[in-house]
Amino acid sequence: MPKVEHLVYGDRKVFTVSAFNRGIGMHLGKLPPVWVEGEVTELRRNDAWATVFLTLKDPKTGATLSVTIARRVYDRLELDLSEGATVHVAGRAEMYELKGELGFRATTIERIGLGDHLLALEQLKRQLAAEGLFAAERKRRLPRVPRAIGILTGADAAARGDLVATIGARFPATKVVIRETRVQGRGAASRIVGALAALAAHPEVDVIVLARGGGSFEDLLPFSDEAVVRAVAGSRVPVVSAVGHEQDTPLCDLAADARAATPTAAGTLVVPDLGELAASVGASRRRLGLAVRAQLERDRNKLARQGERLRTAPRLLLERRRAALDHSGARLQTLSPLATLGRGYAIVRSGGDALRSAAAVQTGDPVDIQLAAGSLGARVDEVRP
Amino acid sequence: MTEPKSFEDLQRELDEIVTRLERGDVPVDDAIALFRRGEELYKECVARLQGAELQIEELLPSDPGT
Repeated sequence: MPKVEHLVYGDRKVFTVSAFNRGIGMHLGKLPPVWVEGEVTELRRNDAWATVFLTLKDPKTGATLSVTIARRVYDRLELDLSEGATVHVAGRAEMYELKGELGFRATTIERIGLGDHLLALEQLKRQLAAEGLFAAERKRRLPRVPRAIGILTGADAAARGDLVATIGARFPATKVVIRETRVQGRGAASRIVGALAALAAHPEVDVIVLARGGGSFEDLLPFSDEAVVRAVAGSRVPVVSAVGHEQDTPLCDLAADARAATPTAAGTLVVPDLGELAASVGASRRRLGLAVRAQLERDRNKLARQGERLRTAPRLLLERRRAALDHSGARLQTLSPLATLGRGYAIVRSGGDALRSAAAVQTGDPVDIQLAAGSLGARVDEVRP
Repeated sequence: MTEPKSFEDLQRELDEIVTRLERGDVPVDDAIALFRRGEELYKECVARLQGAELQIEELLPSDPGT
C-alpha cells in the first residue's frame, strides 16, 4: 500500500487536503463490505453517465447516505426503482476525495420488503374478504346532512385544505372536527385507530373522512394495516376513505362505506349542495300548504253535504210516516165490519152476543139485528139447526 | 341529555307530515296541528341553512405522545 505523502515543517507533520482525503479513503477501503438498508429518496440515472447516483434514507431518523453504482451493473439488475422503495445495498464505504465526502460504492442492490409486503397484504385482503369485511351489504348509507364531519388527516395541508374548502363551499351550515395524527411510518397504524375512535366518540360527528394525499406504497401501508381496516369496518359512524391517488387501493378503501379518489370528491360525498337542499325544503313546504288546503277543502265539502242531509231529514221522515199511516188506514178499512154491513150483511145478536149458530136460540127468543144503517128488534119464529 | 335533532331528522319529519296530509285521512284538528308543526320544521330547516358559516374544531389528542 502506497504511503500517504506529508510535508514537514520543523517537528510538524502536515498533510495536504488531497493526501488527507486519500488517506482516509484508504482506511475506509480496508473495512469489510457490508449490506445497508434504506429508502431510495433520490435517484439519478443518465444514459450518458457511467455511474448511477442515489441517496438512501433511514426512515426512522432521516439520516442519509450517498450511494453510487456502475450504470451497467445497475441496468442489469432491472430493479425499476422508484423513490420510497426500500432496498438492501451491498458494497463498501468510499471517500470522494475531491470533496472529502463519505459515500458508499455499491456492487449490487436488492429490492426488499415490497414483495413480502405485497404477499402479506394479499393474504390479509383474502382473509378479511372471507370474513365479509368488504361485503357490499355491510356498507352503510352516508348521512345526507351530517351534523359534523370528522376528518382524520396527517400533516398534509393540501388534502385537508381541499376537503375543508369543498365542504365549506357546498354546505357551510355544518361543522368539521379535525383530528391530525401521524399517518405514515412506525406507530402510524395504532395512532390512526386511536384518532378514528376519538372522532367517532364525538357526539356530533355523523361521518368520518380519512384524508391522506398520495404517497409511496410504503407510506400508505398503515391504511392497509389489519387494525386500521378492522377499525374502519367496525366504526360507529360511516367512513369515507380518501387515501392516496386513484391508482392506490389500500385495504381501508375496501372496508370503508364509501371511497373517494380525491379529498374534493370526498367533500362532495359527505355534504349535500346547499342550493339543492334549500330547494328541496322549499318544495316540501309548498306541498305542505297544498296538502293542508286540500284537506280543509275536503272537510268543508263533507260538512256542507252533512248540513244538507240534516236539513232535509225531518221532512223525509214525516213523509215516510204519513205514507205508512195511509197504508195502515187502508188496511184497517178493509177489516172493518161496518164495511161488510155496507155490502148487505147483518149481525144478529142474542143477549149482546153475535149469533153464529141457530141452535143457540129457541123459538120465541128476542134477537137484535144490526144493519148498515139502524137495527131491528125481532123474535125467532122457527129454529132450523 | 337529548341530542339536538339533525337537519336530516327535521327534514324527514317535515316530509312525513306532508305525506300524511297528502293522504287526506287526517281529522281536521290534527291536520291544523300537523300543518303548524310542518311550518315550524320548515322555518327551523331554513334557519339552519341560512347564514351559517363552516365551524372548524380541532380535536387534540389526549395522549401528548401522539
